[in-house]
Amino acid sequence: MKVTRRDLLVWGAGAAAGIAFTPVPWKILDDVSIWSQNWSWIPQPARGPVEVKQSFCTLCPNGCGLRVRTGAGWPVGIAGMSTHPITRGALCPLAFAAHQLNWHPQRLRAVRHQSSTSSWAAAQAAFSKACSEGKVVVIDGYAGRAASQIFEAFAEKRGSYRVAASPETRALAPYESWSGVPANALGYDLENAQTVVSFGAPMLDGWGAPGRFTRLWAERAAGMADPQLRLIQIDASLTRTATKAWQWISIRPGTEDALVAGAARFLLEEHLVPANGPMPPLTLVDAASQTGLTTDAIRNLARTIVAKPPVVAIAGGNNPAVAALNVALGALGQTGGIVLRSKQKKVYESADAVIPKARAVVIDSTVPWDFVPRTDAEIFRFAAWDGGSNKAEWLLPAPGFLEELTDVPTAPTSAVETYAVAPAVAKPTAEVHSAAQFLASFDAELNSTDKIIHARCEEIFRARAGSLYGRETTPVAQVASAQKLEEQLRSGAVWVGEPLKTASLKSNLLKCNLKEWPADTRPERSEDWAAEWPAPVLPPLALKLYQESSLREPPERKTV
Amino acid sequence: MSGTPARYGMVIDLDRCTGCGACMVACAAENNVAPTPQATPRTGVTPMLVRKVSNGMHGATRRETFIPIMCMHCEHETPCVKVCPQQAVEVDKATGIVMQMPQRCLGCRYCMTACPYHARYFNWRDPVWPAGMEKSLNPGVATRMRGVVEKCNLCHARLHSANEKAAAAGRREIDMADYVPACGEACPTNAIHFGNLADQNDPVTREAHSANAFRMLARIGTEPKVYYKSKDPWVRALAESASGPGKFSERPAERLAASASEVHHG
Repeated sequence: MKVTRRDLLVWGAGAAAGIAFTPVPWKILDDVSIWSQNWSWIPQPARGPVEVKQSFCTLCPNGCGLRVRTGAGWPVGIAGMSTHPITRGALCPLAFAAHQLNWHPQRLRAVRHQSSTSSWAAAQAAFSKACSEGKVVVIDGYAGRAASQIFEAFAEKRGSYRVAASPETRALAPYESWSGVPANALGYDLENAQTVVSFGAPMLDGWGAPGRFTRLWAERAAGMADPQLRLIQIDASLTRTATKAWQWISIRPGTEDALVAGAARFLLEEHLVPANGPMPPLTLVDAASQTGLTTDAIRNLARTIVAKPPVVAIAGGNNPAVAALNVALGALGQTGGIVLRSKQKKVYESADAVIPKARAVVIDSTVPWDFVPRTDAEIFRFAAWDGGSNKAEWLLPAPGFLEELTDVPTAPTSAVETYAVAPAVAKPTAEVHSAAQFLASFDAELNSTDKIIHARCEEIFRARAGSLYGRETTPVAQVASAQKLEEQLRSGAVWVGEPLKTASLKSNLLKCNLKEWPADTRPERSEDWAAEWPAPVLPPLALKLYQESSLREPPERKTV
Repeated sequence: MSGTPARYGMVIDLDRCTGCGACMVACAAENNVAPTPQATPRTGVTPMLVRKVSNGMHGATRRETFIPIMCMHCEHETPCVKVCPQQAVEVDKATGIVMQMPQRCLGCRYCMTACPYHARYFNWRDPVWPAGMEKSLNPGVATRMRGVVEKCNLCHARLHSANEKAAAAGRREIDMADYVPACGEACPTNAIHFGNLADQNDPVTREAHSANAFRMLARIGTEPKVYYKSKDPWVRALAESASGPGKFSERPAERLAASASEVHHG
């Protein structure tokens, strides 16, 4: 039989028509569409048991309460801890994506020595040699932790311990110098304040524990014509806080001191405040010409400030003039003002004096990247993320977000003492050691973080003061044993102390020896510090805030 | 409420919104939106986007506010549903949620053009996370591929979880405490209130009908299930009028006004 071209065509057409009546083409189409929608290179979430654990944020010293959802053993979602008595479930935007930070491309995964890869053994050998040759300065970011105790104990034998204070603590420094009460024993009693005057402090945009003031403002001020809490914002431009403040006073940039002096002088001259503190040298007319406001506007502001007490003035940084205004307003040691929260804090001197004489400087991972001493000493910089490696001889990978057990002492602006324990929720994604572990390996007498936390829990139990805030609120006096208290703290409860009634310190604070109105003595950054530092490492999803929207300015390298 | 279809919606109190952006980040983390270093406001995926708008004045009289914009879950003549050639968008009859099904989407982007609120986003790229970061993905939400449109689905995975919890407890109705979208949970000022608008006893329903409540572009008749609240007349006017009371200097507001104009005159 001869097969012709026509036969082939007929056979082919018949086969094509026949296949159309079978499921084959539809199955192929279906498979292709499924394949094209499930490409193997598209990451899929890991499967595994989902749990919810309680911990605390360690990105800044405020230690906001977290509810961490874990899937297959890894953190997969963050939410606020609604039972936290201070932040009440509120968090800053960065915390919601902080669990992704541990895989950030800038995560420090290996020891680096002068920008090349090294080892922990080499770092230990170099540190051991440095210890034998001279003094060691240990710089801590969040004072009062178990790790801080280890640092202090180590530095006591071999050098000095210093704290790189947060901007909020630095703003309290003038009271420390005038009253002798340590800045880290003071706090702002915002819960009882009725007027808050902010001189450039970002009250609604990350000041203190982000949730604390925003929650208060939302409940007592937002959208109200006559709010229970008056927020007066002094800012040169319409900042995020100024936008939402009850009153926004726009002044020339950098003239806050003049406005403070003008307002304080008017208040003192008109006897609108008790005669506290010295008279500012600046006249109202001078203040007006400097700030760009009219004298009437300054008078009105001054009257508004005292119209609804208690009032507290808050500076954006260390501003002695704003502190002097608080003295004039009688806000020190008073309800709704600046209050004493602790009697056991120490005054930490500046690191400027000791660093130049040191042989080695150990900088903890809690210290911000802008703390980069320019010194001949050998710097051992602990960090979870590589933010400024070119500034330190040794860059040592520290545990990342929620990768280590730590404790959370009182937040810098809190009006009461608090204590919490942040358990590790994430597994370390690199070979990491904290600065405390590193130092402990050189001194067998140093306690571990775990033991110090245990001792602190026992101490709280013995004092029988304050309450535990967990699923329910329990006074410490009703907790059965120290072990029970520790169990609760380790599972996410927060201990909150009672308002302090220490007469001697309070009277020091009330007296506050301020003889003359402070000149602009804000300390400039020492010339020993590096002139610039890199942009901070943020969770990758923070791109939504500054790159995919016009909500914020992108983080940039800064120059002093 | 038993037997009555739910109508999930929100009331966003703009007087409380400080523009912190916590809702945007929480939304992206919850819904496994990939961080895209190349993304811009035009090409990024922001199912929840907080926009800054002003009253158009300058100096001490200038006022600004922040408006979180998301899918409005239009109840009537839902524009995206009407134009989708693939039936990849539908209004869920049981919940009122406007659902987007990426498996059906062919990426024609008609819905993006049709949406008067500019609340839809296109995945221009495959989702990519830095090495290892895929372990941090939310297991309740599938990742989307390049070439499909996406938008807010009121955290549907959380609704699933709430339904499962209710079923396990032998209840037919979910407990509203179990179902709060990520943005509402994250808001530090409690500006975002979520609830069932079909339930007359739900506080959110009462709030949606309060004096200062309004809906975005209410006059085009899409009946959004996202309501806003503000005591400032200029903010309310901005949402309701294409020309507005002033010339809004911020680009997003201009975009909003322009989109409204297109719908109105087009």
